[in-house]
Amino acid sequence: MSSMAVAKKRRKEKRSILKELYQTFRDGDAATRLSFLVMGFGCLRRGQIMKGLLYLAAQVLFIWFAFSFAWQHLSKIGTLGNVGMQRVWNEELQIYLRTPGDNSMLILLFSVLSILLFIGIVVLWRASIRSAYKAQNLAQAGQKLPSISDDLKALLNERFHMTMMTLPSLMVIAFTVLPTVFMVLIAFTNFDADHQPPGNMFTWVGLQNFSNLFGASALVSGTFSRILGWTMIWAVVATFTNYLFGMLLAIFINNRGIKLKSMWRTIFVITIAVPQFVSLMLMSQILHDLGPLNALLKQFGFIERSIPFLTDATSARITVLVVNLWVGIPYSMLITSGILMNIPKDLYESASIDGASPARMFFSITMPYMIFVTTPYLITAFVGNINNFNVIYLLTRGGPLVTDYYQAGKTDLLVTWLYKLTVERQNYSLASTIGIFVFVVSAGLSLIVYNASGSSRREEEFQ
Amino acid sequence: MKQTTKSLRMDMARFLPLFAALLPLTLLLGWLRVPGLEGATFQRSGINLLLFDQGILHLLPLAIAAGLALAFGLACAAKASRPLVFGMVAAFSAAIICGIYALLSAKETADASLLLPAPFMVKNLQLGFWLFLLVAVLGLILSLRALKQPTTYIVLTTMAMVWLLPIIWLVITSFRAEPGAYTTYVIPKGWTTSNYTRLFTETSQFDFPSWYRNTLFVAVITCALTTMMVLMISYTFSRLRFPSRKALMNTGLIIAMFPGFMSMIAVYHILKAIGLAKSLVSLILVYTGGGILNYTIAKGFFDTIPKSLDEAATIDGASKNMVFWRIILPSSKPIVVFTAITAFIAPWVDFIFVSVIMKDEYANYTVALGLFRMLEREHIYEYFTRFCAGAVLVAIPITLLFIRIQKFYVEGVTGGAVKG
Repeated sequence: MSSMAVAKKRRKEKRSILKELYQTFRDGDAATRLSFLVMGFGCLRRGQIMKGLLYLAAQVLFIWFAFSFAWQHLSKIGTLGNVGMQRVWNEELQIYLRTPGDNSMLILLFSVLSILLFIGIVVLWRASIRSAYKAQNLAQAGQKLPSISDDLKALLNERFHMTMMTLPSLMVIAFTVLPTVFMVLIAFTNFDADHQPPGNMFTWVGLQNFSNLFGASALVSGTFSRILGWTMIWAVVATFTNYLFGMLLAIFINNRGIKLKSMWRTIFVITIAVPQFVSLMLMSQILHDLGPLNALLKQFGFIERSIPFLTDATSARITVLVVNLWVGIPYSMLITSGILMNIPKDLYESASIDGASPARMFFSITMPYMIFVTTPYLITAFVGNINNFNVIYLLTRGGPLVTDYYQAGKTDLLVTWLYKLTVERQNYSLASTIGIFVFVVSAGLSLIVYNASGSSRREEEFQ
Repeated sequence: MKQTTKSLRMDMARFLPLFAALLPLTLLLGWLRVPGLEGATFQRSGINLLLFDQGILHLLPLAIAAGLALAFGLACAAKASRPLVFGMVAAFSAAIICGIYALLSAKETADASLLLPAPFMVKNLQLGFWLFLLVAVLGLILSLRALKQPTTYIVLTTMAMVWLLPIIWLVITSFRAEPGAYTTYVIPKGWTTSNYTRLFTETSQFDFPSWYRNTLFVAVITCALTTMMVLMISYTFSRLRFPSRKALMNTGLIIAMFPGFMSMIAVYHILKAIGLAKSLVSLILVYTGGGILNYTIAKGFFDTIPKSLDEAATIDGASKNMVFWRIILPSSKPIVVFTAITAFIAPWVDFIFVSVIMKDEYANYTVALGLFRMLEREHIYEYFTRFCAGAVLVAIPITLLFIRIQKFYVEGVTGGAVKG
């Protein structure tokens, strides 16, 4: 389905929701119409006491919440607070006391929370109207209304999806959706080290951060464009080297004559199984200027001076790419070996009868097949490499640092720069802006894959 | 015996004695004096240098390997047979290992002999030595091919060494007696198990046992919660059809695409607002909340369970709830194991979220963050060997669990289309 068709369908859906509400209002009797105002009224009126009370309780709770909590935050969302922290002379104690002013961050966070809850109550409101209308129709037809135990039973059968989805959805909303929406909004504020609540307030700055990133601030945009360049080089090189060498390794292991295949595979799998913070910290120790690798090379007489694996810009970039091979090859070996075994054997047999060399067979059979099957994986891996925090941060911490970069080093990727800006520099607004940019790139690529792979269309085929 | 000779490739085997004879010859090259090259930087260099004084010990294995190869080669020349060619494989392998050993110890030997005016470099080794290595490698390839064995064994062994060496170094260092992060040698001067015991006894600064308990606690609860929710969500998306299904799946897909630690700070403040910051419960909530969106592999698995099973049960009067418990769950044991193990591993390997949430609350650290702290500049000298010991203690259970679930990674990526 093309994206345009999806959008069209959505618009249609939206219209149908309004239409449905309108029709309900038109055809409903007094009780149903009152349900538009008092949630659960229709149910109460027709004897579905428990259900009606629950809807009513939700409405009461929401009104209480709106006045006691939501309003005091939402009313300030336009400015994100206007009363700063103040020192007030206390006559009794004869000292200045600090009175906490508006906390912009909490105002924004709780406003987002309030809006999410508001959306929730709208959904409930619609459900209550629907059930009132349904009760009206059933009553008019002279049928028995579902009792509360019928409704509970339905939750285990026809509406089982609601039972199953509630808890996971709440978790995802609380710990993923809410924070993400919050941080997206932060990108349009000036929340940085100079505007730290409590104490200082921050406010909306519109697209200032985006224009800084794309050119208005020479230092920031210069850093951004060079880090973006390196991120892309890194992602392309890391993805393809890992993929190619991983596939070669898989071919070696799957070679017909090789014995103890699972032993070989396990040897390489061990290196992915060891937690990355262990193996990569270890690598950074091994590759240190004074580390064992340099020590050994000196001891064996290969070199006289330490090789600056991680401290020189160019060699650090090469080192992270090579270490990434060490980290990534076993993983792509694991993935490609399963697919390699699926290539129809008769292709190879007929090729070898025709006298094709192994190299010829690799380039004419294996490669085309693999690239065809693994395109989605390749793009997922590419997106994964754009976001490859561990390899860079644990090895070089983005270093070597240079002064013409804004809070970044020569091996920093966009995501490690983002991390440093948040955790070390508290420049949340710029970090969020970068986060949005990374999201747009990853989402765009993934969208291409999603459409190209057609897995969305094939979904039903397996069942 | 007829069969064995048949499975030898005679055209290859015929060349083997030649290579076997070349091997000792290259060793003798060290004494050859080419007139033009005489009197360069070093009077004595390369192989013949290794023979001086204590150096003889370093060359002896080389000579023995070459001799063995020669003996097998001569026998092969008389009558080639499978066991003899196997012997040659062994002899050539030994020659390569001895050659690398000689290469690595060359500088030590040269420096000890006190005969050289300038620091000795490996590049000063004479041509004969490199020829020795080359001949040994070629001989190994040839003998493997004669046996009709894949020569990729050589590549695989080399790669396995490269991949395992850092891990072997980790294990070795965890038993090292001397402190310090950067040593100029690899094999420890003294061995001890005190790095392990001190992790558990000296807990005043770095309380490893309590970190281990914390991590285990968080991991067990996270594992239970995440497994439950992931199974719920994947069953719902795989089996139930309801109006907002597609919209919810797409939302999940989009949300998961934002860089995870962009929202870390917000998560911290949310936890602070509900009074849970710096607690283990908050970690459980964060890992569970993050783990839920990784439901695609489980969903892909459920998609492959034939729908006719559910339909039959529904006709018999089973509700969807019963279908989930009686039909889907019992036939999905592998995916339950996979989901549980992935959820269990997460708290052991994450240190980013835990560092943002715990900040300076040392009592609630997990092993990952604690070990990470040991490598800070002021602690690294004293704690590096203990870091290695702790890392080994974390890596062992994780590795064992990971090996168990490795095949699911393949299926997850290929959308369940590959059956192992």
